[in-house]
Amino acid sequence: MSGFAAVLLAPQLLEATIRLSTPVTFAALAAVVCERSGITNIAMEGIMLVGAFFSAYVGWLTGNPWIGLLGGLVAGAAFSLLFAWATVSLHINHVVAGAIMNILAFGLTRYLMMVCYGRQGTSEAVPLTLDHYRLRVPLLSNIPYLGSAVFNQTPLVYLSLISVAALAWTFARTRFGLSLTASGEHPMALETLGRSVYRVRYQAVLLSGLLCGLAGAFLSIENSNSFTEGMTNGRGFIALAANIAGGWQPVGVFLASLFFGLVDAAQLRAQSIGLIHLPSEIFLVFPYIATIVAVAGLVRKSRPPAAVGKDFNVEGGGD
Amino acid sequence: MKVSGAVPPVLETRGVTKRFGRIVANHDISIRLEKGEIIALLGENGAGKSTLMNVLFGLYRPSSGSILIDGEEVSFASPREAIAKGLGMVHQHFMLVPTLTVTQNIILGDEPVILGHVLYRAARRRVVELSERYGLHVDPDARLEDLSVGLQQRVEILKALYREARVLILDEPTAVLTPLEVEELFSVLRRLAEGGTSIIIITHKLEEVMSLSSRVYVLRRGELVGERRTSETDAAELANFMVGRDVVLSVERGEAVAAPEPILRLEAVSVRGARGIPALRGLSLGVGPGEILGIAGVEGNGQAELCDLVVGLARPDSGRIVFHGRDISALSLKRRMEAGIGYVPQDRRGSGLVLPFSVEENLALGSCEGPPLCRRGFLDFRALRENALRLMEDYDIRGAGPEVSVSTLSGGNQQKVILAREFSRKPDFLLVAQPTRGLDVGAIEYVYRRILQLKAGGTAILLISMELEEIFALSDRIAVLHGGELAFEAPTSRTNEIEVGEHMIRGRTDRRAS
Amino acid sequence: MSTRSVPVSAYRIVAGILTFVLAVPGTILYLASYFWGAWLLAGACAAYLADRVLELGRPAFFSLVRSALRRSAMPAIGIVAALLLGAAIMLATGYNPLSSYKALFYGGLVRGWSVSVLNATPLLFTGLAVAFAFQGGFFNIGAQGQYFIGVMTATWIGLALKLPGIVEIPLIFVAAAFVGAATNAIPAILKVKTGAHEVVTTMMFAYAISTLSPVFIRAFGGDPSHSMHPYASDTLPEAAWLPTFKSFLPEANYRLHIGIILAIACAVLVRFILRSTSLGFKVRAVGNNPMAAKTQGISIPRITAASLLISGALAAAAGATQVLGLDHRMYQDLGAGYGWNGISIALLARNNPIAIIFTSLLWGLLDSGGRYMAMTTRTPNSIIEIVKSIILFLLLAEMLYQRIGLSLRAAFSRLRRGSDARTGIEKEIGS
Repeated sequence: MSGFAAVLLAPQLLEATIRLSTPVTFAALAAVVCERSGITNIAMEGIMLVGAFFSAYVGWLTGNPWIGLLGGLVAGAAFSLLFAWATVSLHINHVVAGAIMNILAFGLTRYLMMVCYGRQGTSEAVPLTLDHYRLRVPLLSNIPYLGSAVFNQTPLVYLSLISVAALAWTFARTRFGLSLTASGEHPMALETLGRSVYRVRYQAVLLSGLLCGLAGAFLSIENSNSFTEGMTNGRGFIALAANIAGGWQPVGVFLASLFFGLVDAAQLRAQSIGLIHLPSEIFLVFPYIATIVAVAGLVRKSRPPAAVGKDFNVEGGGD
Repeated sequence: MKVSGAVPPVLETRGVTKRFGRIVANHDISIRLEKGEIIALLGENGAGKSTLMNVLFGLYRPSSGSILIDGEEVSFASPREAIAKGLGMVHQHFMLVPTLTVTQNIILGDEPVILGHVLYRAARRRVVELSERYGLHVDPDARLEDLSVGLQQRVEILKALYREARVLILDEPTAVLTPLEVEELFSVLRRLAEGGTSIIIITHKLEEVMSLSSRVYVLRRGELVGERRTSETDAAELANFMVGRDVVLSVERGEAVAAPEPILRLEAVSVRGARGIPALRGLSLGVGPGEILGIAGVEGNGQAELCDLVVGLARPDSGRIVFHGRDISALSLKRRMEAGIGYVPQDRRGSGLVLPFSVEENLALGSCEGPPLCRRGFLDFRALRENALRLMEDYDIRGAGPEVSVSTLSGGNQQKVILAREFSRKPDFLLVAQPTRGLDVGAIEYVYRRILQLKAGGTAILLISMELEEIFALSDRIAVLHGGELAFEAPTSRTNEIEVGEHMIRGRTDRRAS
Repeated sequence: MSTRSVPVSAYRIVAGILTFVLAVPGTILYLASYFWGAWLLAGACAAYLADRVLELGRPAFFSLVRSALRRSAMPAIGIVAALLLGAAIMLATGYNPLSSYKALFYGGLVRGWSVSVLNATPLLFTGLAVAFAFQGGFFNIGAQGQYFIGVMTATWIGLALKLPGIVEIPLIFVAAAFVGAATNAIPAILKVKTGAHEVVTTMMFAYAISTLSPVFIRAFGGDPSHSMHPYASDTLPEAAWLPTFKSFLPEANYRLHIGIILAIACAVLVRFILRSTSLGFKVRAVGNNPMAAKTQGISIPRITAASLLISGALAAAAGATQVLGLDHRMYQDLGAGYGWNGISIALLARNNPIAIIFTSLLWGLLDSGGRYMAMTTRTPNSIIEIVKSIILFLLLAEMLYQRIGLSLRAAFSRLRRGSDARTGIEKEIGS
């Protein structure tokens, strides 16, 4: 039993928790932005996948992971604009449009694998990953236990932490945040005050696309060195759950994502040191089960934005 | 068109027409509003008042005609441009975000910012300053959903004033207010007018027109049918204009048979509302066979909870509901339906009908368990059709065949579908909530007649309405709901609108006196 | 005069019988690649149309035909537009769209028609599963998981019990449906009790079940160290295999099993449940307006459970059919995508069970044609996935058509009589 405690308390576990929660954090923040603006986004899985592919591909072509990251961002943004067009302008049911976007993303990345690499499965490895730019923050990284785990991380991990703070500030203090909230709670109020709900929602989806692009880039060129088909593995949906569990608030969502990261890190560690002799698949299931439990347990605790998932249709005013 | 004097009117429309497809919502409407003037736009539901206002406010574009501000022709592509020209609108359904604070709601869309960062402290100062200048006191940091309806409306007015509106348009501003709040609102509006703001008030209530405005335009079926100075007209003339004939809403009520034993009784029932606040407190009442008990009260005083409780959508926290001498507090809605409780819900389209369903399917809703419409779990299509044809005939449902979706029917015919469905089950007790909201006069008369017919057949009826006129037209006894308590109860013949109105505002006077 | 004395209903009965008598063998023959079965189908169509003419009278019938044509114009345009877009993508990425499409349709409709039918079989079931939940207002996005549950149940019982096929096969179907329904019971309970959204819960179940499936395969004879990939469980005894078409139609493909007939029967059954039973009526009422349904005494929790459980059962039946009919064992990872494709098929058919028969066949032929295309022209068959999602996108974007229609009409009227201030569809605000 003391061995078990040692596993859980090891600084490596905290480090892994933060690292593994990063893609979920990005995607969950994307969900927050979207849902606060009134758009239900289940397309995040697909947007992430597209972001992951293009990060890996551009990173491989140029040999520079930063340009790869840019590629992932642009691809995520472009793909999310398609989703925005479908939901906001064409008024397709958000969930249905999201499902179609996911199907499209799976097909598109498989096709592009053949076009770009001439094979299925896993792409060529990028010559250099973002992991190479691991940054040890001076002084802070010397804090015992916490320091090595939090302040000796890779670039996107830091960026995810910054994003949480930036979004929390956006919602609390900025015009954009206020518009987002109004658009998700009472879109007509925003419209009658002369601010276009369509535009706000487009901006929200675009921002979520960028965040999902970051999540994808993390998966393909920071946490690993190549793109694998279907590598998002349901993280888009886990993020959706983190968003609910975190009460549609950036900080809450971050904590929820950390929880999923912890479950993931714990299962990996438990697997690797072989404390319990069970098939490895049993451990892999933990995050999914944790998601169900979290959603079921926390869904009633907070209130979703009043107009989330509802179509908003005004012609004559607005766009 | 004569141009009067040197100063052009603040706002003027010339021959504004608005079409939606083939429907003409506004036809050739010309109105004029001078500086510091309060005018009223009077008309029944569906007369085209709201459409006209949305045209003025840039939410709709007129199909033809023009809008002039200070004598200058304008064309609004969006509300933003209307706001910029000094128009402010207080919508009937408030355009306020419940989860935001008062300050946030007021500045939304026009925030003081530096680099996207909202200067909340400066904004709050302006809000405080504004509310003091106009005497519209409200806590700038309160969350909107925690405010009363009257205060929320105040925030709406402040919103317009914050944008320096010179023209204030209020759409049905008194619909949800208590008489006391109405008085306050009116004095605020008079003060604003004295300060030079021009005001248009849209309403269908004659008294308000008479007491507030100096001029009145009457709309009927999308057309302007009259313009009068308030000092030169009276309520009767305006009513005539509005309806196009003399209003005859006095239906023959018939005498109530004094019943010894009520069919349905509420015994000291209490329940909590949506946010944990007590919505009904120890409410006791009873309705006997062949009797209509009218529940008067301002919206939001426990009516919704009372409906849910009686039909079985909610359970009481304490107290009991007795039907035919049996405690039914724990029975499900379905069991209560089977026991003979009928329900005509307030929200016709939201909870009365399944809009994409056909008329015959809607008529079968709730009877899809057993004979005659259903046999061993299978629908009997022929019985469904026959049932529909019979009820459509009996209840004069027009505009479509039984196989057509109810969404294509008019409001009146939709309501008739609901009445047909509920009445045909021959309930012993019927709960009717706001049965005529949004209906035209003809349909209202019809609904009243059917309700009285049902009563004559011995059904006990509980009528919930926010329209005092309706309560007095139908009820044998009147009770007033205030703050979740029974504030007053009397036979209709022994009370009057003034007394009931008093209780609607003040609640139980006996307790307050002591 | 004498001909008039024969009641119309007699003609109608004849037409009805004729429709049925021609349609059933026609369908079976056509599905089994006996393409002359199409003549029988054409005859069945003629008899059916004749019946409708007799029922409705000529004017009503023709107006019905016109509206049907108008309604099907949009899907047709959408499919053509999607194929054109797909062609553009192929051109842009250096493949020849013309030869690719030729191979696609030759492969899907002629050469590999039996493979198309085989592909369509599980898709029809999962499509029905998703559609049934949709009809009740729920999104069973995790049909994939219930499919795997069906596969596992069928494999397990098939390997464990040694009964004659006539007993075992129905038993397996019933068991799979039951276990599939039970799988969805948890999301249903969570939905009712806590409000947890079924999109998250069913999806997570699907991922969990896929992740766990290797454990199951290893328990039933799968050997990961073996070179075969994907690795698989032991093979079911032949007694538990579904009969093939070849047993009564010698020229049929030897792999083609009667699963497609079961699936079509199931579609008819689902349509019957939705349209003609009290349960289906209630499911549709809840799907369209839960509040009104509740106010009329329909139990929302019960209907939620019913539609999710039936949906789960149908998805599991897809898995059972696949194991008993085609694979005869459980493969790892194989069948991934039946859940997602089921969603597409249901959406494309607008949740109409009969339309799902056709959309699943369309999807099936795109899949098999795509494989043939990849083999013969080297165009990657994943282009088909892209084309499929474009089809979906175009068919669901009604607004797009309205916009195009409106702007075309506006352009016409502008041509005809100068500018017209048409502002499009405006929604009543406020009231």
